[in-house]
Amino acid sequence: MGDKNNVARDCFDQLLTHLQRFIAIDRDAFEVLVPYLEIRRFEKKQVLVNQGEIDDYLSVVIKGLVRKYVPSPKGQVTLQLATEGHFVQSEISYHNRVPSEVILETLEPTTLASIHYDNMQLVLNTMPGAETLGRAIIMQMFIKKDARYFDQLKVSTRDRFLAYVNNHPHMLQRVPQKIFASYLNIKPETFSRLKHLLLHKK
Amino acid sequence: MVAILQKYIDQFIDLPAEELEALINSIEVRSVDKKVRLTDLNETEKYLYFVIKGLARKFFYKGKEEVITQLAKEGELVSSSVSYFSGAPSGYIVETIEPTTFYSLHRDRAEQLYSRYPKLERLSRLIITELFLQKEMWELERIRYNTKERFLRFMTDNPELFQRVPQKYLASYLNIKPETFSRLKHLLRKKNSDAPFLK
Repeated sequence: MGDKNNVARDCFDQLLTHLQRFIAIDRDAFEVLVPYLEIRRFEKKQVLVNQGEIDDYLSVVIKGLVRKYVPSPKGQVTLQLATEGHFVQSEISYHNRVPSEVILETLEPTTLASIHYDNMQLVLNTMPGAETLGRAIIMQMFIKKDARYFDQLKVSTRDRFLAYVNNHPHMLQRVPQKIFASYLNIKPETFSRLKHLLLHKK
Repeated sequence: MVAILQKYIDQFIDLPAEELEALINSIEVRSVDKKVRLTDLNETEKYLYFVIKGLARKFFYKGKEEVITQLAKEGELVSSSVSYFSGAPSGYIVETIEPTTFYSLHRDRAEQLYSRYPKLERLSRLIITELFLQKEMWELERIRYNTKERFLRFMTDNPELFQRVPQKYLASYLNIKPETFSRLKHLLRKKNSDAPFLK
């Protein structure tokens, strides 16, 4: 029991550290939020949200890896690979309370710090300063999404690959190549060629 | 003119009269000619614009090519929004296509409003959320629909823009090659005379 509480405490501490990277939130303000949060644990290859389900959670990855993807006629398209410190959810489903088009699935055993939609509304409606905090969080998510959008339209396949691998060197080991290629919107055969290029550069 | 703004706000929130008035008092009405650049690359976006009359576009340069990411008509917001909300340099350019009248809200005035009026602060969060979700929808649309379907969907939703927006802009916005666009346009005309062009 005590141990379990300690583990949860450790997760919340990590969450605070992640949040403090982009919002001004002190420990006191954070502790008021903690009773509304949940620590959720999942095995590898577990589906968190399926197509047609409503996503009830906004989560931050504490440990592990979550993949967000959508099936398409041309094969699965990976929209996000969320690792430690990243927000992850089926956004449209969560905010608009509609069935999800996307699937969230773990690629590794994963621990999430999550807030349920109802608790989010409760916090926003009752807690002073919650709107400012909520605005900072959605802003951060918006900046990240806009960067990806920009990237997809502007940056060449080769540069996108090199930038991603340089910024996330551990991900080549953590993510199967096929999924990785679909995330970067690169054909599998091009991906192999680019990876080769990377090896030669070292 | 306020009615069109009120209608926009009503989608998000029931704003008390006092807060709506405070917002209106903070807003500047701005009219500019066509082809006027409101925000340039690397500037910090100072304004959130709401189109009352006219048409604007948002784009960036990919090499020398202009890539249009938004066409904003009456009743819609346009801004280099990430820059506006975060203060980071703009990666986009905002420019009018037609002579355009806007309501514009300076980011400093907006911050003052948020600190005094809780519903306006909530409205701003809801608007950022909406802009955020629009990006997600854009990405899903590109996966789910092919070029022809995206063309037909856009024309069905925005038939008036076909007349108002230069074709090369429409093609860029829909990420369709100009020659493909001409071919699809033909399809529209043919279908138009037959029956509703999208079931």
